[in-house]
Amino acid sequence: MPVWQHIYEELNDPNFVIISAAQDTGGEAVAGPIFDAANATYVQIVDVNHTISSAFNFVNVPAAAWVDELGKIVRIDEGTYAKTHPFGGNDVYAPALMDWVKNGENSEYVQATTTVTKNIRAQSFDELKAEAAFRLGNFFREYGDVDKTEFYWEMAKALNPGSVNYIRQNLTLSAEGSAGESFMKMIGEYVGEGRDYYRPLDLSEK
Amino acid sequence: MAEEVRMAYPDLRHPFEKKPIHGEGSATALYAGKVIEIERTLDSDSLWVTPEDLTRINGFELKPEGACFEALCIPLGSGSKLIKVEGDQQWFDLLGFADWLEQPYVADSENRVWSFGEVPAKRESMMANAMAPEFEVLDREGKVVRMSDYKGKKALIITWSSW
Repeated sequence: MPVWQHIYEELNDPNFVIISAAQDTGGEAVAGPIFDAANATYVQIVDVNHTISSAFNFVNVPAAAWVDELGKIVRIDEGTYAKTHPFGGNDVYAPALMDWVKNGENSEYVQATTTVTKNIRAQSFDELKAEAAFRLGNFFREYGDVDKTEFYWEMAKALNPGSVNYIRQNLTLSAEGSAGESFMKMIGEYVGEGRDYYRPLDLSEK
Repeated sequence: MAEEVRMAYPDLRHPFEKKPIHGEGSATALYAGKVIEIERTLDSDSLWVTPEDLTRINGFELKPEGACFEALCIPLGSGSKLIKVEGDQQWFDLLGFADWLEQPYVADSENRVWSFGEVPAKRESMMANAMAPEFEVLDREGKVVRMSDYKGKKALIITWSSW
C-alpha cells in the first residue's frame, strides 16, 4: 500500500489518478487504518459490496485495470503487487505502470483492444448471479443476521467456485479467519494442480 | 508463506446488531452496490413496482420507445405483459423484465429482499470494446465516485482487501 502512494507522489501527474478500492465487508473499521498508515492521498474507496471488482469481472485481490483518457482499458486483471510477493508479485509491474503514465499510448505496456478483451473474464449467468447472492449475504450481515449471511455467501461460492474473493470473504466469518487452515489448503491445491492463483503477468503480451 | 498473510482485525468481523430490515409492507432491492427500499408494490408475492421505483432501482425509464437506460432501449411493445394499470397507477414487472434481460437475481422471500446481478447488456461495451465499465461508489469522505468522472485522465483502478 505505501508503495502505491510512493509511486503516486513520484509521478506527481495531475492527469493520473489512482482509485484504490478496499473490498472489505469489515468496512472503514478494518480498511481505513490501512489507508491511513499509507498516508494515502489518492481516491480511497471502502467497497463493502465488491462493486468495483464486480464491474471489472475480477475474482481475486489485488487486481487492477489501467484506463486511458478515453475510458478504454489498456491492461487488466493481473496479480497487482507493487513488489515481490510470495503469491505471485514481482518488481516489474510498478515500473511498467510508471512507463505508461509517462508515455501513454506509446508505452510498450499498452495492450491492444483485442488482447484486453481476451483478458477480461467472461461471466456466465451463474457467475453474475453469484454477485447477487454475495450482496444479499452482505446485506443481511449489516442487519445482524449471521445465518442468512452464511447461507447467501455459501450460495455465491457455489455459483462461482472460481472466485477467490468469495472464498476468502466468506472465511472472514469463520473462527479460523481468511488466512487460516482453509486458505492455506486452497493455496496448496492451486499449486498442486498447477493452477494460477493469478493470471500470469506477461508484460511482453501486446 | 504463512507469516506473510494474516487476517486483519478478527475482532471486528461481527460488529452488527440484529435489526428490522424495512418498514411493514415494504420491499428492498439491491443493485450495483445500492440498497433501494420500495414502499409500494402491487402485491406481496412478486415485485411489480412503479415506473419511478424502476428508475430508482436500475436506472431504466419507461418511454414511448420502451424501457431505456442511456442509449440502450428495450422495446416493450403495446400490450406488454410487463406493464399493468390498476386505477390510476401503472405497475412494472421488475422480475419479468430481469428474466427478459437475462439479469440474474436472488430473492429472500421471507424478508422481501431481492438482490439483482448486473444487466449483461450493460457490460457489452467492456466485453466487446474494452471500454471501462461505469460504477458509482462513495469514497471514504462520502463523495460519489464514478468511473466517468475521470475521463481525460489516466486511471489505475486497483482492488485489495484487509483479509
